[in-house]
Amino acid sequence: MVRELAGRLAALDPDASAAVQVIAYFDRLVATRAGLEAIVRGAAVLAGCPARLIDPDHRVNVRVLGDGRRDDAAVPPDPAWLHAPLGYEHAVLWLERPGPAGAVDLMVLERATGVARDALERTRGRAPSGGDPALVELLLDPAATEADRLHAARRLRLPETGVWAVAIAGVPPVIEHAGTRGRVDGRRAGVGTIGRVADLPASWMAAKTALRFAAEGDEQDPGPRVVRADELGGLMVLAAAVGTDSEPAPDVRALDHAGTAAPWMLATLYAAASEPSLRTAATALTLHHSTLQDRLTRAEHLLGWNVRDPQGRLRLQLAFALRRLHRHPPA
Amino acid sequence: MSAARNTIDIQEPIMTVPTPPPFDPELAAALTVMADFIPPSLTMETLPALRDASFMPEEDFTRGGAIDVTELTVPGPAGEPDISLLVLRPAGETGPVPALYNIHGGGMIMGTNRLIPTEMLDMVVELKLAVVSVEYRLAPEHPHPAPVEDCYAGLVWTAKHADEIGVDPGRIVVAGASAGGGLAAAVALLARDRGGPALIGQLLICPMLDDRNDTVSSHQMAGLGVWDRTSNDTGWTALLGDRRGGPDVSPYAAPARATDLSGLPPTFVDVGSAETFRDEDVAYATGIWQSGGVAELHVWPGGFHGFDMMAPQAAISQEAKAARLRWLRRILGA
Repeated sequence: MVRELAGRLAALDPDASAAVQVIAYFDRLVATRAGLEAIVRGAAVLAGCPARLIDPDHRVNVRVLGDGRRDDAAVPPDPAWLHAPLGYEHAVLWLERPGPAGAVDLMVLERATGVARDALERTRGRAPSGGDPALVELLLDPAATEADRLHAARRLRLPETGVWAVAIAGVPPVIEHAGTRGRVDGRRAGVGTIGRVADLPASWMAAKTALRFAAEGDEQDPGPRVVRADELGGLMVLAAAVGTDSEPAPDVRALDHAGTAAPWMLATLYAAASEPSLRTAATALTLHHSTLQDRLTRAEHLLGWNVRDPQGRLRLQLAFALRRLHRHPPA
Repeated sequence: MSAARNTIDIQEPIMTVPTPPPFDPELAAALTVMADFIPPSLTMETLPALRDASFMPEEDFTRGGAIDVTELTVPGPAGEPDISLLVLRPAGETGPVPALYNIHGGGMIMGTNRLIPTEMLDMVVELKLAVVSVEYRLAPEHPHPAPVEDCYAGLVWTAKHADEIGVDPGRIVVAGASAGGGLAAAVALLARDRGGPALIGQLLICPMLDDRNDTVSSHQMAGLGVWDRTSNDTGWTALLGDRRGGPDVSPYAAPARATDLSGLPPTFVDVGSAETFRDEDVAYATGIWQSGGVAELHVWPGGFHGFDMMAPQAAISQEAKAARLRWLRRILGA
């Protein structure tokens, strides 16, 4: 009769045949839609050491010993252990063994992370980051070959069309599509133009530009935190005119100057520039209409132009747009 | 196709084979990896090669000194050759300990008494019991009743000479997996019918019980998993020759043939739902209940034949082994 699976695999040379076995094992787990514990157990048994999956965002902490017994540990993983990110939020698979990794270890890490990512997406929803950062970057790189791009799109399970890039302040690029649960959790974000997978580099350029128009949404930088490139129109052209060392236009300086006069100044001016009417602006600011009128009179005095007629409103809107471009220079 | 198309041809089974139950996900993955080593169907032609492949290097049963290992040669059945018993005892235990009388598997045609499940070695250490593993003659070179009589002779010797090997003769459990489970069931029937050793239990792990090879599960699992109906036919035919499946097969060869299952010791039966022996094993436990006996039955969903030995790491394998251990603790009061 046949000996145990672990013994069988341990007896194999770390060569192609062992790799084939590892692939076959995890492929079968995929086919049967096995759960996370089964996947972590596969990694532990095939690598011959404890394995652990930690997904802090979903409070997943599954640890299985080399003999297959479940034993969730309290101690945090040692950074020296072999590990690989799943490309799903912050989830990481650990093999509790220091490097260097053997061929079988590498194959186990690669396959197990892929299968575990699928299982997490299936059970906890698709990752908003759209997967492996390296694959995402490849799709956004205009120099990448068509073949690499298609391969990456398949790995990320993107549809052929209806995809766009999202630039989020302080985090790696994200690719989204209609099936994505979009989430930027309060950060500034620019949403790129929608198109085919091949258009993603252009969508990414547009997303980065849109991000420059996104405001912090606070007193000093009022405005929308999320800006869509396809709603910017001619403002996209304006972005190219403002580089890192461009001198701010006099209207931007005037706006900055006015902003130092009172804490409410910029928010009040932004409401006046963006709301359909002064009445709705007063409501948005929870001010009495006459109070708003008084404030605007004071602001106009500081700025040096009338913000209540159409030309003055446009001039104010442009001043805000230019000011954001200066505050958020190109990366 | 024949002219009998419009009538029911009673010679042909009219039942269509139902869809087999799926394998447990982890077991399916393990089976995929092991597929190269275990063909589902074994024939007489492939037997020599498989016997060679299943030959195991001398295994160290001592567990680093925790287990004392002794090999004994004892009398076989009357007029037949001696047999060998491998005795494993917990080191340092002076008093008599309970014993698992282990009958190895291998379809009646393969294996040796060194085929001792790892879990039994664990039991020696954890439950402080002895394992007595019997070497019996194999079919087809030695057809029925040679294998079962060898097993019975070894059991009789063990009970009679229990004090010599530090075993409590009142606490002997016959145990075996697959063909070993079938032989263990047969040995328990013999012990009952011949007034032999009083057994405290029988541990039947996916036992091979029915030479007729005609249950729904045996048809469902054809060509699938481990030990399908072709293998089963090979094993039973080796043991019984032309008598296999016929009217005059002894219950000591195929315990499923027993018409009286009363008077047996407390019985543990387990089996996977995705294997040839599922239905005959469930029927055996049912028969014991219907005869007023005590049996514990576990059917593990998606288990193939011998799953817990071949894929011991799988969650369901761990459950299966834990259930056996708990039963043994209850039976032995250990």
